Amino acid sequence: MSLKVDRDGMAFTFKGGMLPMTVMELASADPEHIREQLAGKLSQSPAFFQHTPVVLSVEQLDEPHLALERICAVCRAHKLLPVAVRGGTDPVKQSSWALGLGWFPPQEAARPRTLESVPTTDAEPAPEATVADEPTPAASAVGRIYRGTVRSGQQVTAPEGDLVVVGAVNAGAEVLAGGSVHVYGALRGRALAGIHGDPEAAIFCRELRAELLSVAGNYKRLEDIDPRLLGTGVQVRLDAGQLGIATLD
Amino acid sequence: MAKIIVVTSGKGGVGKTTSAAAIATGLALRGQKTVVIDFDVGLRNLDLIMGCERRVVYDLVNVIQGEAGLNQALIRDKRVDNLHILPASQTRDKDALTLEGVETVLNALNKEFDYIVCDSPAGIERGAQLAMYFADEAIVVTNPEVSSVRDSDRILGLLASKTRRAERGEDPIKEHLLITRYNPNRVDSGDMLNLEDIQEILAIKLAGLIPESGAVLRASNQGVPVTHDEGSDAGQAYADTVARLMDEDVPLRFHEYQKKGLLSRMFGGGRR
Repeated sequence: MSLKVDRDGMAFTFKGGMLPMTVMELASADPEHIREQLAGKLSQSPAFFQHTPVVLSVEQLDEPHLALERICAVCRAHKLLPVAVRGGTDPVKQSSWALGLGWFPPQEAARPRTLESVPTTDAEPAPEATVADEPTPAASAVGRIYRGTVRSGQQVTAPEGDLVVVGAVNAGAEVLAGGSVHVYGALRGRALAGIHGDPEAAIFCRELRAELLSVAGNYKRLEDIDPRLLGTGVQVRLDAGQLGIATLD
Repeated sequence: MAKIIVVTSGKGGVGKTTSAAAIATGLALRGQKTVVIDFDVGLRNLDLIMGCERRVVYDLVNVIQGEAGLNQALIRDKRVDNLHILPASQTRDKDALTLEGVETVLNALNKEFDYIVCDSPAGIERGAQLAMYFADEAIVVTNPEVSSVRDSDRILGLLASKTRRAERGEDPIKEHLLITRYNPNRVDSGDMLNLEDIQEILAIKLAGLIPESGAVLRASNQGVPVTHDEGSDAGQAYADTVARLMDEDVPLRFHEYQKKGLLSRMFGGGRR
């Protein structure tokens, strides 16, 4: 409790935080190939390359071993600062740690979805099971049920899976979920679904009064919402990259 | 065992001190041995509202820092026997309060009193958190105004997480909503939030509704808690609130816009 520790001169406190982070989705494991493309990008937008922290996503690569050290060196040479790796096999995880990088589980494994064999294209990240050799228990994706009013200043999060609020979310409160957000009451605060970038996530509520709605980083403020929808039950989801709000009735 | 009640709101100027004084007086008038503590260190006001400002020698900070005994600092109310006031210090700031010190004072009062009413400072910082930390019940004072409702909502969140009951996982603090400065006339014309809207947002039980009243300002300036003004609407509304705090079922008054007739006045007065 903060009241007890006020004077003890603590060295630090742990706080949860959501920072914007650039994900570098690798389509090739060849450091030379990466170097060429980076050099091209650097000349186009030098302002971006200011020791920008990036997460290297290797989910699309189907290689058990990566020249991770060389890839990192190429990034650093172009003023990109790899801070973590997402996805990959166990050896990839081990070598990330050895290089002092963090490791995140692959995004697709965090949320089970139907395994369609979509061909890999440059335009779209394919939800293919490249890491099928490391099965994640389905139970880990269960969300969270919160009963009661989420009050101003409070934040309720379900990092994986859906968040269900049985009650109202008041103005100044924030509800976040890796999956979808369901509010069985008035939604007056902020609701963010798909906080890890899941475009399939959605927001459902019984009475729309939200200050902010966001799905996978695409957001609308109260001002942007059609006034006719206010006070109604709605679902909010991404439709062709656009945040769409539709009544449930 | 005393019941510890914190009067809090988040927002300033909504009537915390007025309400703390009126409710403590009401409890004492009903025979409950009551002490009301001013936690607003540095901005002492409760002594003025209670009309005992000329009798303050020692204060809460003196007691906590061991410079005075509790009985030296407690001021006996002139009007009601069962009522005591523990004033705040005007010269210190909120850092002079410690959690351990507050606990010691409350433990000592616990044995002697039936009710301990803690008048919280505005804000959500140290002073306000110390005032609410040991509470069994909370009276959340709210004006019919959006900013006040939002701040009350914030305070309710803190009551559910930053208090001893919450940290120990005991039964949660019993929360009461007290709406002050309610003017049915202005609610009717849309200038003020109505009772139902406030209740819907805050989702806690209503303990009382105090109408906007000239009697409140008069009482403050005279240093006589408005509960003593039995003929006034605000005085009656606080008496009703006290009854509800003591688990009596009292119908709500003063919430509808109506021309007051002689009959309703007599009926209203006859209830007490």
